[in-house]
Amino acid sequence: MSEPVVRLERVSKTFRDFWLRPTVKAVDALDLDVRRGEVFGLLGPNGSGKSTTIKMVLGLLAPSSGRVSLFGRSPRSKAARAKLGYLPELSYLHPFLTARETLMYYAGLCGLPGSVARERTRQLLEMVKLSDVAGRAVGGFSKGMARRVALASALVGKPELLVLDEPTSGLDPVSTKEVKTLVKALAKKGMTVLTTSHLLADAEDICDRVMILNRGRTAAEGRVSELGESLEAFFLAKVGSGDDFALADFLA
Amino acid sequence: MRRFVSIAKATALEVIGEPLSLLLLSAALCLAVFAPAFHYHQFGEPTRMARDAGLSALLLCGTLFAFAGAVRSVRRELESGTAAVALAHPVSRGQFLLAKAAGVYCAFALFALAVGAVTATIVNGARIGAAVAQKTGDIPRLWGPSYAFGVAAVVAPYVFGAVLNRAFRVRFALSAFLTALGVAVASVLYRPDGETLLRLLPAELLLWIPPAVFAMAAAAASVRLKANAAGAAGGLLAALFLPFAGNYSLSEALSRGGSIPWGYVLLAALAALPALLLAAAAGIRLFRERDL
Repeated sequence: MSEPVVRLERVSKTFRDFWLRPTVKAVDALDLDVRRGEVFGLLGPNGSGKSTTIKMVLGLLAPSSGRVSLFGRSPRSKAARAKLGYLPELSYLHPFLTARETLMYYAGLCGLPGSVARERTRQLLEMVKLSDVAGRAVGGFSKGMARRVALASALVGKPELLVLDEPTSGLDPVSTKEVKTLVKALAKKGMTVLTTSHLLADAEDICDRVMILNRGRTAAEGRVSELGESLEAFFLAKVGSGDDFALADFLA
Repeated sequence: MRRFVSIAKATALEVIGEPLSLLLLSAALCLAVFAPAFHYHQFGEPTRMARDAGLSALLLCGTLFAFAGAVRSVRRELESGTAAVALAHPVSRGQFLLAKAAGVYCAFALFALAVGAVTATIVNGARIGAAVAQKTGDIPRLWGPSYAFGVAAVVAPYVFGAVLNRAFRVRFALSAFLTALGVAVASVLYRPDGETLLRLLPAELLLWIPPAVFAMAAAAASVRLKANAAGAAGGLLAALFLPFAGNYSLSEALSRGGSIPWGYVLLAALAALPALLLAAAAGIRLFRERDL
């Protein structure tokens, strides 16, 4: 079997305050392998450690213990990050740049030569249906349009691994379907995808394999097709029923 | 290099487009044009007063421009998450920080160009005034219409910027700064008394050195400090530094046909280099250890 694209070995992350006192253990002894060509879903309720895990994979957070490798190298290695595309949970864009300039900016960060960057920018703007507004500053875009720019930015370097943090967050049903279709198409072309979500229907549609995180620990892991029941039922069984709020007492 | 240029270019565009930058630029231009008018007779030395006002405006507002631009730009990248996205690309943290500082400095260069253009215009007005006074036997003072030239030099970039932006969607800042460049070149090469203002250039460039150090130090401090704390640190530094960086000696050196040798500018830049490198090294070290 080939080397996993992403590997986490007994990885923990503890956040500390100014005096280095531990405040919260976001991830606890996590083991994870993402294999080449698969769509891997990291699922879990809010605060379960999904985004922290993603940030450690990207080299943005240093693990407190354990080892993270990306394409067999440190996530801080430029060679590893050259094969990576990242869509954050919120579409972090420079509001003063136009859609075209945004893609050119990220193409520049990928080190693409000018002519290649321009051609890829044109193709991606067409793909995400923003060619008509390519000259408008993204600060004036709707949330859905900004999301599409961010997605195009993640793809501009033709990555081998696409990391998507809540890719359908804030999108309407049509845009959500478009994103899911795109992810499936990219996976068919052999791209490895690591995605987080708390929208189980989305994960069920696009993921080959999922891991459920709860309070920074692995609650379950397996292929979606082998779970034997709906992902939602499986998830609730592992994480909690969702009936915990004592609303009746409060309202009485 | 492409990565460095991409980050620096985006940073320069961001800093130029900031309302605070426009405010500081306007303040510097008004200071350059109108400060000599506060002294009615300009002590009989209108050219020197005009030059001194322009150089002071460049040093004071330029240093503030570079410092505030770096603090706001780096903090915004860190707080909005755009730094995290950029650093998920094959860009090292050191490269990112240095490119941010370089971008701020490019924006400062355009700012300095605009202030330099207006300074040259108002100095030319003073030279005409001195020539008129010599003929009439009056005390030399700033020639009245030169204020109109000065104001025109300030207003022209804004007007051209607005017109080109409205008609052709050219970036306001870009067209405004290109107009300022035109005004600067014309003013420096104008020869009312048979001499160009080229000898002002080394003096202007000498004042480009402190903002370089301040931009780097501010970018370095901002990777750890919040904007308010970095701003307070910068204010303290400025309070300590600026009183010793007055332009009186500079103005004295330029009076009565004097000039500043280019070798002196080079030596001053070399003297500032250790501070620049120290700030860069500290910033890179602090940034490497920071969780994003």
